[in-house]
Amino acid sequence: MKTFEEKWTAWLDGQLSGKELLEFEASLPDLAAAHAEKRDAQKLGSFLKEQLGAQTLSNAEFFSHQLHERIARDTQDRSGGRGIRSTWWTVPRLAWSGATALALFVITTVVLMSQHPAGEQSEYLTQILNSRVDPSANPNATISIFESKTDNKVTVLWTEGLQTLPADYAAK
Amino acid sequence: MQLRPLLLAAFLVLAISAVSADAAQAVWSGLVIAENVAQPAPIPPELTKLEQTLKDLFGYNQFEVIGQSDKTLKTGQEDWLANSKYFRLQADARGENDSGYSLNLKLYKENDVLLETDANLSKSSPLVIKGPQVGSGQLLLVLVVKDDEQSNRRRHAEPANPIRTAWNRLRRAIHNVLP
Repeated sequence: MKTFEEKWTAWLDGQLSGKELLEFEASLPDLAAAHAEKRDAQKLGSFLKEQLGAQTLSNAEFFSHQLHERIARDTQDRSGGRGIRSTWWTVPRLAWSGATALALFVITTVVLMSQHPAGEQSEYLTQILNSRVDPSANPNATISIFESKTDNKVTVLWTEGLQTLPADYAAK
Repeated sequence: MQLRPLLLAAFLVLAISAVSADAAQAVWSGLVIAENVAQPAPIPPELTKLEQTLKDLFGYNQFEVIGQSDKTLKTGQEDWLANSKYFRLQADARGENDSGYSLNLKLYKENDVLLETDANLSKSSPLVIKGPQVGSGQLLLVLVVKDDEQSNRRRHAEPANPIRTAWNRLRRAIHNVLP
């Protein structure tokens, strides 16, 4: 089933005949105006054919070469890129970046952790660097240091042999 | 480019973390008389956490504070005193280090120095010094870095986590670099 536009175009081109032509012309509201329009269209067609005759390309070979190159480039882009935009983060670069970051992390961790020599007292405990008592007043005094075994991690500086003082010294 | 904002965000997080490590902490210093009595008084609140440890170590049932000081340290260079009638504990902080504060401590009996010690007072490890016998009791010096409850619990739960130690060092390094 042809649409009106298709029949109109065929009628303008003189391609309708017989019963189809009669039916189409009968369907037109103003046949005279339609014939006038047909004549104008035919005139325009003839005019254009005269004015726009086939022009020969002076650089046909160059034009063809450009066209082929463009087609080849488009084909290559479609097959290689698969529609994904190119980016600096290619898979190998991603892998290398990840490996480098991991290596830096390991090196930093090792360096920072190695600053605590094995055997040294934990920095989480209070450390006694040195201690002294007045030797003249406490000639037999001794000092020892230890850590309590409780959860409090108390560091104890234990003195022995200090001079005993009277109870009055317990005053506030 | 999305890398630049990420790097900026990471730097800001590190900087804020480093600056937050600068929170002031208080050191409680006490002159304590430990003795055995028939009706022991309740232990002072500052020593509550250490009660069992002190009892186990010294064998006394009462601990009475005869002099104390609660000093907030901001620069780690402060000095303070804890006095009783006859004793004086003089503390001279000489800076903050990885684990706590470097202190010079002197115990005076009136004007005589009984005991002197240099110590790195850890934020998670109290220091107890056994002083002279006083009558039937014992003089003890106790120093505790007071911190918020949460930090203390965390430290006690993970007292020697090397990752945390490394992180603290990194944080301190950044803190030292920043003005």
